Amino acid sequence: MLGRIIRHEWTNLAADRTVWVLAGLMALISLYGVYNGATWSAFQRENIAMALDEERDRLAGHRAFVESGQEPASRFRNPLSPDSVGGSMGRRYAYLPPAPLAPLSVGQSDLYPYYFQVSTNSKQSFLNTHELENPSNLLSGRFDLAFVVVYLLPLLILALSYDLLSSEREQGTMAMLLSQPLPLWTLALGKIALRALVVLALALGFSLAGYTAAGGALASMDALLLWMAVVAAYSLLWFGLAVAANALGKGSATNAMLLAGIWLVVVVITPAAVNLVVTTSYPIPSRVELVQALRTATEDANARSAEVLSQYYTDHPEYLPEGEQPDPNDFTLRSYAVREDVERAMAPVLERYDGQLLRQQTLVNRLKWLSPAVVAQEALNDIAGTGLARYQHFLGVVDRYHDELRSYFIPKVSARATMTTADYDAIPVFEYQEESFGEILGRVSAGIVGLALPMLLAFGVGARILRSYPVVG
Amino acid sequence: MLKATDLTKTYNGVAALDRLNLEVAPGDVFCLLGANGAGKTTTINLFLNFIEPSGGTAQVNGLDVTRQPLETKRWLAYIPEQVMLYRHLTGLENLDYFTALSGTDHYPPDQLRAFFKQVGLQDGVADQRVSTYSKGMRQKVGIAIALAKQAKALLLDEPTSGLDPKASNEFSRLLQRLSGEGVAVLMATHDLFRAKESGTRVGIMNQGQLKQTLTTAEIGHADLERIYLEQMHD
Repeated sequence: MLGRIIRHEWTNLAADRTVWVLAGLMALISLYGVYNGATWSAFQRENIAMALDEERDRLAGHRAFVESGQEPASRFRNPLSPDSVGGSMGRRYAYLPPAPLAPLSVGQSDLYPYYFQVSTNSKQSFLNTHELENPSNLLSGRFDLAFVVVYLLPLLILALSYDLLSSEREQGTMAMLLSQPLPLWTLALGKIALRALVVLALALGFSLAGYTAAGGALASMDALLLWMAVVAAYSLLWFGLAVAANALGKGSATNAMLLAGIWLVVVVITPAAVNLVVTTSYPIPSRVELVQALRTATEDANARSAEVLSQYYTDHPEYLPEGEQPDPNDFTLRSYAVREDVERAMAPVLERYDGQLLRQQTLVNRLKWLSPAVVAQEALNDIAGTGLARYQHFLGVVDRYHDELRSYFIPKVSARATMTTADYDAIPVFEYQEESFGEILGRVSAGIVGLALPMLLAFGVGARILRSYPVVG
Repeated sequence: MLKATDLTKTYNGVAALDRLNLEVAPGDVFCLLGANGAGKTTTINLFLNFIEPSGGTAQVNGLDVTRQPLETKRWLAYIPEQVMLYRHLTGLENLDYFTALSGTDHYPPDQLRAFFKQVGLQDGVADQRVSTYSKGMRQKVGIAIALAKQAKALLLDEPTSGLDPKASNEFSRLLQRLSGEGVAVLMATHDLFRAKESGTRVGIMNQGQLKQTLTTAEIGHADLERIYLEQMHD
């Protein structure tokens, strides 16, 4: 019987020209979204490639100079000096390559820098573009497929199902149907099943098409499947809401208003409200204060430079060349000592920033369950590798690389060594270690559960209300 | 086949149907007469389990309609004042769909066409979209659905109102044929003439109560109208 209803609904739906128009429109905007996303990841890839080309040529140039045995023209731009090379001339790029599914969701990847020039300089010097805005600002973003899924797909679903039962009642066929031995629940299920099949076929088809069009490899099929699972859970939630609204037995116009209201609350108002709550609960300290603290710390360290340097030698006895006494006038090493001192002084200030960001994120993680739209958006970003978690992972990798570069250059600086071609060849190269799929899977699974529970609730409540559905009157 | 026992429906303390007792045997055509709001439609909706009774029971073939709504609907066919069908589908497609939902075995198209013929619809009508049908044609499709379903009881809610006399007459003949085949018919109507012609019994309702039951064979048209008007005065 269910199969017969589904078949009948297909005939009904197919006869409705607006459905085809809607589907065509959806196809167009989906493809536009994928095009946007693909353009952005291609742009990122291109920039990274250009940066790496620049790095390779630059280092090759310095290395050739060393090989030629010429005298350096300037003391400050000296390819032979590990201080010059480590501090600026030999800076290397640390970059976050777009993940395979990046074309499907730009996420926050256009808010954050995706490459840094790492040198022995302090972290603040290259992380200066550090985003101090609320990272939970989920409302902004490009027009990508994730946007289509989170914001527009629900509208398509509601357009197809807001009058699921009310239309039958209004055209008088409901009484004809229910005079047959047909449980109302079966009717509702059959009608919703066909619509869900159509919408999911469209949404999943476009995801797959976009993914392939953007040059997605089959190797990351598991990520694509995960993406589809999120899209399915999120879509079914909206179908559940449509069933529940129809179960109330109101007219089509009322259903449309009610469901549009729910869409507004879930997709627009709640995310904005969460944002507001988060930023007012844990405001980020002013950036001026941060800059001021950095200046004070630098001045202070410079004023105490002699003391700072001796402290530096105490901390790093390995940097003191064997058999030598600390030279309080060693200008080069003093700058490293000052740098380290500033970093130490800045640590608590930065901690306040990072701590506040962390508290914001914790609160977002707790409040996001209020809006399935936020849950879906985060899960899709996670899968596309454009979410906050992967970015933080990237910052960690950069941090470790920064330490690695320093440990490579500073001993050479303190030993007053000269850079050889072999030293050039041995400069650590940045290598991005991707998060494990298990970590992504864990986060996304939580999201899917966070979508499936309200979905089941909507269907459950719908089934419950349906029992007292007013067939007549 | 159809049996109401102290069947009562109240809305906010007002009785729309007040302790109705009535039985329609196979082959009986029981016509419910009465003004609008007398409780005729309420009775039919109660038999269909579209509304919950406030008291008493409605039974179809010995089964309580509230306890076994799906089983009882296997025996029932319903023809409302307007048989509403899917307008963009043909008559045949509509018949096919409703018959499939009725739980009867699947009919091949030829047999479905035969039902159209039986209810007096011309060849070719079955393949036209329902949006081109007149009301009389749609009411006949309603009968065709009942035939295909092999219903044992027919519930009709003013099925001939608005039909021209010829269509109305054809419809009544179909009813008589069905009752001749042992179908129990319960019909709400305003048409005293039609009730006397095609009914075996009439029941006159007023303010939710069944005031009087008459056997049509025993009275004339004029008597029926007189008794009806008398009951309306109360």
